[in-house]
Amino acid sequence: MKVTFPHMGNLYIPLRTFFENLGAEVVVPPLSSKRTLEIGCKYSPEFACLPLKVTLGNFIEALEMGADTIVMAGGVGPCRFGYYAEVQREILKDLGYDFDMIVLEPPQGHFWDLIKKFKYITNKKSFKEIYLAGKLAWKKIILLDRLEKMVNRIRAVELEKGKTDKAYKKALNLISNARDEQELAFARQQIEKEISSIKKAKERNLLKVGLVGEIYTLLEPFVNFNIEKQLGELGVLVERSIYISQWVRENLLPSFMKSKEPEVLAKLAEPYIPCFVGGHGRESVAQIVSYAKQGFDGVIHLLPLTCMPEIVAKSVLPMVSKIHSIPVMTLVLDEHSAETGLRTRLEAFIDLIRERKEEEEFGVLSWD
Amino acid sequence: MECYLGIDVGSVSTNFALIDKHGKMLKKLYLRTAGRPIETIKSGLKMLKEDLKDDIEIKGVGTTGSGRKLASVIVGADVVKNEITAHAVASISEIPTVQTILEIGGQDSKIIILRDGIVVDFAMNTVCAAGTGSFLDRQAQRLGIPIELFGEIAIRSKNPTRIAGRCAVFAESDMIHKQQLGYKVEDILKGLCQALVRNYLANVAKGKEINPPVVFQGGVAANSGIKRAFEEELGMEIIVPEHFDVMGALGAALLAKKAMSQNKQKQTNFYGFEAAFKEHRAESFECNGCPNLCEIVQIYVDNKLIARWGDRCGRWSENVAV
Amino acid sequence: MRIGVPRALFYYMYYPFWKIFFEALGHEVILSSPTNKKILKDGLEFAVDDACLPVKVFHGHIVDLLDRVDVLFIPRIISIEPGEFICPKFLGLPDMVKSSIPDLPPIIDSNLSVYKNRKDLIGHAKSIGTDLGHSSRLILKAYTIASTKFNSYKKFQISHEQLPLDSGQKSFFDSNSSYFSRHKNKCLGENTLNVLLLGHPYNIYDNYISMNLITKLQKNGIKVITPEIIPVKNISAGAKNLKKRLFWTMGKNIIGSTYYYMDCGKALDGIIHLASFGCGPDSIVGELLERKLSRNRLVPFLRINIDEHSGEEGFNTRLEAFIDVIEGRRRN
Repeated sequence: MKVTFPHMGNLYIPLRTFFENLGAEVVVPPLSSKRTLEIGCKYSPEFACLPLKVTLGNFIEALEMGADTIVMAGGVGPCRFGYYAEVQREILKDLGYDFDMIVLEPPQGHFWDLIKKFKYITNKKSFKEIYLAGKLAWKKIILLDRLEKMVNRIRAVELEKGKTDKAYKKALNLISNARDEQELAFARQQIEKEISSIKKAKERNLLKVGLVGEIYTLLEPFVNFNIEKQLGELGVLVERSIYISQWVRENLLPSFMKSKEPEVLAKLAEPYIPCFVGGHGRESVAQIVSYAKQGFDGVIHLLPLTCMPEIVAKSVLPMVSKIHSIPVMTLVLDEHSAETGLRTRLEAFIDLIRERKEEEEFGVLSWD
Repeated sequence: MECYLGIDVGSVSTNFALIDKHGKMLKKLYLRTAGRPIETIKSGLKMLKEDLKDDIEIKGVGTTGSGRKLASVIVGADVVKNEITAHAVASISEIPTVQTILEIGGQDSKIIILRDGIVVDFAMNTVCAAGTGSFLDRQAQRLGIPIELFGEIAIRSKNPTRIAGRCAVFAESDMIHKQQLGYKVEDILKGLCQALVRNYLANVAKGKEINPPVVFQGGVAANSGIKRAFEEELGMEIIVPEHFDVMGALGAALLAKKAMSQNKQKQTNFYGFEAAFKEHRAESFECNGCPNLCEIVQIYVDNKLIARWGDRCGRWSENVAV
Repeated sequence: MRIGVPRALFYYMYYPFWKIFFEALGHEVILSSPTNKKILKDGLEFAVDDACLPVKVFHGHIVDLLDRVDVLFIPRIISIEPGEFICPKFLGLPDMVKSSIPDLPPIIDSNLSVYKNRKDLIGHAKSIGTDLGHSSRLILKAYTIASTKFNSYKKFQISHEQLPLDSGQKSFFDSNSSYFSRHKNKCLGENTLNVLLLGHPYNIYDNYISMNLITKLQKNGIKVITPEIIPVKNISAGAKNLKKRLFWTMGKNIIGSTYYYMDCGKALDGIIHLASFGCGPDSIVGELLERKLSRNRLVPFLRINIDEHSGEEGFNTRLEAFIDVIEGRRRN
């Protein structure tokens, strides 16, 4: 059995660790590229959202490399993501591929179903073995989140351009190659040392921008044109609202392991969207309020074209932005998005918030 | 001699086909509509009249295309048919075993799937211009190549340039980029042919089962570069019928022939070639009857109102004293 | 009080219930005009531009009601079948309207969710009634009348194959409600062509949006079958053939109806799917439909995407060609 899965940012690192430690052969699809997008779009429904198209491209590329078992997450709606696997399976079958598709539905009390599926994939490994492999993968996830946070903070102030990204790349390799918890702990020390050795400029008026929106477009640098890096290069400190650990918690872990944090956060959205609207629509609004309260200078809201939950969020953003006095820019991404267009808008937005901040500094901002 | 006339009024071209009672083409015309459909229809009638011998007797008339209604009130038609059915009928008359029709015209494109001589499925493009003839016209113009030579030059290419983009706007900007980089003209042209074929197959023909014989018709079928690109992409022989450029009109004529032969008693509605010398006028106004504010089109012949359409409720169109 | 009910979205499913309920509470129900050019224009102007056509149209209907009602009724419809959802935009509909249209009258936006239990419909009624300041007793009485009549109307709709089509200004319910009239869906004898028309009720029954599709089909002697007149148990039987339960109720109705007709060998001459541009569920459901139908090309299938730019000319061309296709097959 050759197992594969879709890409979403660095998710492939813990997934590969997990399945390999359970003795499965893993085919990691090539990182999402223009080719992935092109073949994904070719076979996807035209009006489907971008993540369906790109992940379909991942599957085709992995099947071409000999994978025969696809592991994909499911869902109970109302966001379309919950039905991706069903449509993708039909498309791939019609293309003539021979494969097995295993859909990991969110546990919601059926945690044993999930374990059963893992047992099937890993040729009946014991619960203990699955637990241990899961534990190492989870630790990698936590470390990846930490790494990404550090990188986003430091990239904006690095003295020597490109140093942070060099360290980041090296760190990804270290995490990826760690075979057990001991090696991972060692990797962590090395990474922290390396990152803290990057020389920083003393920036007094650093701009802080929060990134919110649909999870896939936030986490997958290929579809968002590496927006975090671009903002860092523009001298902006970036904080992202969702990390892989959160996605894994929401989608793969049993409910008693879920953190209470999202519920607390959702309260912040209550005046605008009092109810769950699927995906992270409500959370996007809540995060904007939260960033405003933390004194961020602006927020960028990312979503794939026709994304239903985020369209609901987008419709209330003008009000949120006005009441909390924080500039918000929405970027809608699809297969026709071009990097130059995105860059222009990013630069214009940064200019806008920089000017706003400077005015604030000198106390000439209007009183509204 | 007994003849049947077919008229296909599209936004780019207006075509005429005159056939005899055996379905043989006697005369065809391919005219630019140029935004003046009434004048174009009339000048087509005049040209036909001048060219033909006096013993011609028009036994039936069919109209098709987006201007089929307009054409039918001007000339007096016996059959008014949508262009998909008309194209299929014409194609079957030339290649009875046809299973797939690829049709690319100036402003739209379609695919028609047939099995055992019956249309079983079809699709038409809606919004995208990247799969139509006007896209090629525009690019040829940009490159300074006469559109007639487009195919010939494209076929010479040995190393086609890849033009990216599923949409006309993106394809165009990519082409300009490649042109600036100094790619050979023939390679760019071939690249455009491939891009158009790719777009067509990805949008219009998406999910359709393309089986041979495949017939390629419509104005763009004149472009041998596109034909070649289709053959390479599909790995099948592509047949371009003799009257590829007036298939809609031919189909309309055949449909008129069929309708009239089914009912021998029926007299044709054709007003005669004199229709070309009458004075036609189209007017429109906005109806204030309800918040829909429909635009009502009125057609006058020699100052007499003969047809009206455009209303959703039927208040105007159902009340024409003819 | 004058309660404004927009003639859009769930109007085509729940209007009879709401109307009877509000009237039993002693209120007057004001319906917005049938969709027209101005409503569409207002919708496009006020709604967030990424929204789908039906949501934009809904915004237009709200604008149409503004000056003539005391309170607007925009329920937050979360779930209308246990364990299933409606598209996310319905979940946030009151929020979208509130932030997109200025100077709104008070809004009743109580939740309608039967996700956990079908009986929770009573909770929906209770919270509406409480918002309007009525006693629990009166609310319960009104609810009982409304739900009884609503249920028998639903039964009538299926047994008499009655499509919820408005005629002119008159609502589909008002034109039938007095006797649940005996007028039957035109059954034209054995040679009638049967076409299964799929789509969200607010697309297929809105005469303006659907460009009179149903009437056009009927004028050609075609009997139109929609999920609304197919018995629920048949739809469920069809939907069981899906590998995974579809969590959108309307999507499930569409797929379930198709599978029921395809797999039970019911006589059918054609299937039309009217989808709206930018509709999330339609993009998934449409793809599943198309793949299922193209594998065993037994029935001709036409998919029409509508958006605010759709021209009637192209629409008619497709429709006429499709009718030619199904008539041609019938003759052979």
